[in-house]
Amino acid sequence: MEEGVYRAVSGGRIALQRRQYSASCREFSVRCPRLQLRSLSAATCSVWLAAYGLFVLSQNSMVLSAAIFITLIGLIVYLHFVKIDHESLLVIGSLGIQMTSSYASGKENTTFIEMSQVKDVVINEAIYMQKVIYYLCILLQDPGEPHGVSEVVPLFQSSKPRLDCLVEVYRSCQEILEQRKT
Amino acid sequence: MACRRIGCHGHTLSPASSINCVKALATGIRTHSICMVSDFFYPNMGGVESHIYQLSHCLIERGHKVIIVTHAYGNRKGIRYLANGLKVYYLPLKVMYNQSTATTLFHSLPLLRYIFVRERVTIVHSHSSFSSMAHDALFHAKTMGLQTVFTDHSLFGFADVSSVLTNKLLTVSLCDTNHIICVSYTSKENTVLRAALNPEIVSVIPNAVDPTDFTPDPSRRDDSTITVVVVSRLVYRKGIDLLSGIIPELCQKYPDLHFLVGGEGPKRIVLEEVRERYQLHDRVRLLGALEHQDVRNVLVQGHIFLNTSLTEAFCMAIVEAASCGLQVVSTRVGGIPEVLPENLIVLCEPSVKSLCDGLEKAVAQIRSGTLPTPETIHNKVKTFYTWRNVAERTAKVYDRVADEVVLPMDKRLDRLISHCGSVTGCIFALFAVLSFLFLVFLRWMTPDSIIDVAVDATGPSGAWTQQYFPSKKGSEKEEIPDC
Repeated sequence: MEEGVYRAVSGGRIALQRRQYSASCREFSVRCPRLQLRSLSAATCSVWLAAYGLFVLSQNSMVLSAAIFITLIGLIVYLHFVKIDHESLLVIGSLGIQMTSSYASGKENTTFIEMSQVKDVVINEAIYMQKVIYYLCILLQDPGEPHGVSEVVPLFQSSKPRLDCLVEVYRSCQEILEQRKT
Repeated sequence: MACRRIGCHGHTLSPASSINCVKALATGIRTHSICMVSDFFYPNMGGVESHIYQLSHCLIERGHKVIIVTHAYGNRKGIRYLANGLKVYYLPLKVMYNQSTATTLFHSLPLLRYIFVRERVTIVHSHSSFSSMAHDALFHAKTMGLQTVFTDHSLFGFADVSSVLTNKLLTVSLCDTNHIICVSYTSKENTVLRAALNPEIVSVIPNAVDPTDFTPDPSRRDDSTITVVVVSRLVYRKGIDLLSGIIPELCQKYPDLHFLVGGEGPKRIVLEEVRERYQLHDRVRLLGALEHQDVRNVLVQGHIFLNTSLTEAFCMAIVEAASCGLQVVSTRVGGIPEVLPENLIVLCEPSVKSLCDGLEKAVAQIRSGTLPTPETIHNKVKTFYTWRNVAERTAKVYDRVADEVVLPMDKRLDRLISHCGSVTGCIFALFAVLSFLFLVFLRWMTPDSIIDVAVDATGPSGAWTQQYFPSKKGSEKEEIPDC
């Protein structure tokens, strides 16, 4: 198992773990930037300050207890549905590619793509928010056309590693895909 | 997504041209990293679009790195590669009017800055004064301290409100631009006057046509009749009202005269009315909008090409027509008299009477057989305007600009205030300061160091090699060097 520290597009630190189970089976796992205490406390403070302002105006203590509930529920929803802790990509040359994203709460989302559907793994560029970023994606074979691409599946969508990290993963994926062809 | 090529496949450069490029590199030409910015690019069709496309290709061939930035056209957004690794950014900016984006001077800064940084752009080359994105890019480039070049493709008036406003905007936009390129001497005169520029920083580089696209084919035309071809957008500026006066008059006089009109626009209704009123359905054919590759097929069907433009900086259409071996009859406006030598063109005043006289003269010449053959005309015209020549001259402008200094902020503010009038100058100086502060903020949010440097497709370290191109156009493997 190798581990390397890279940076995400946003500047945060991410860690790339590579596990090699056999020549044609590798797993890549990218740990997203951690939840910063700074941003967490900023969000909480702003909600509570707004609630306190309302309380001063309305003199109703319900506002304060509502604010506490809103923060708690918001945090649970954020950790359970939004915040992704790590994303992993398992490439098995003879079977297919499995993508897993694990949420901070432990919930996992897994997608599997059969090898016969995979046409190629490439690095592409996209305009994302006010940025132009590189991303890794899987091209799916169009069953109708031998040269067509039916769908593009982007990888590492929430961690968004920079190009140097993507090139590492890309090279390893290509090695396995090459073996498949021969 | 997969890289799809659009537009003119015919323009892909021949293998011979890449040999030239290697030679050029060996002799040690300076290479630049150029970013062309304009609102107008393919899939939109027109003179500016093809100018940018052809110029970029010839610059790539000379070893420069070229990227194009334009706004998104419908579903076409993101990043695309055209032939020879020409990279096009279709930015998702809102279109306001006539394919031109809204200009706020600020909203496009984050994206443009990101692109300029990641592509390591050294020269920003904007096109067309109608394009607000081009002006925005000039403004941002100057804030970022990049060299700027601007190409003006059109002529303007001085009298009406809209031109007064655009002229003011142009003055502001061009007063601190390093170099300006115009397409004809008339256009240079016009731009210098409109934008109150020093004529020494204005160069004239005419447009060009691809002569291999416009070859004559006399077998396609019907020699029992005489066909007059008109290919232009059917709008007021192109003098379609004059055309509607000419058609009935000449059709009455010459029973064997036919008109072939290609193009679309709001003035089409005028031509349809004329056709209706004089019962000329069999002799005046309106073809509607033409694809660029169909233009040649229409041109070769005619004997005479008629251009009725009321204003024109440099008329590409008449060069294309002459290259197809047609006798050209045109109005004497703007830069048109500079374009072709006198023996290839009949110039008239922009009035119905004068244009009719001109056409009659051309008809008489064809009847008497005194005209040179289409082949001779083509061979003559093809030496006049070539893209290689245009690119060579543009590269000289880049070399010159690269040695100049970009005005530092304080000098730029001085220039704006002293040059553009006290009120406008102060307003735009304020904008310049604000945009600088915005840039500082953006640099703090995303420092240049965390912006990935893009893999060059073209230029000295271009990853796009010829062998990849025909076989693997489905994927973007070319993106990764040494794989």
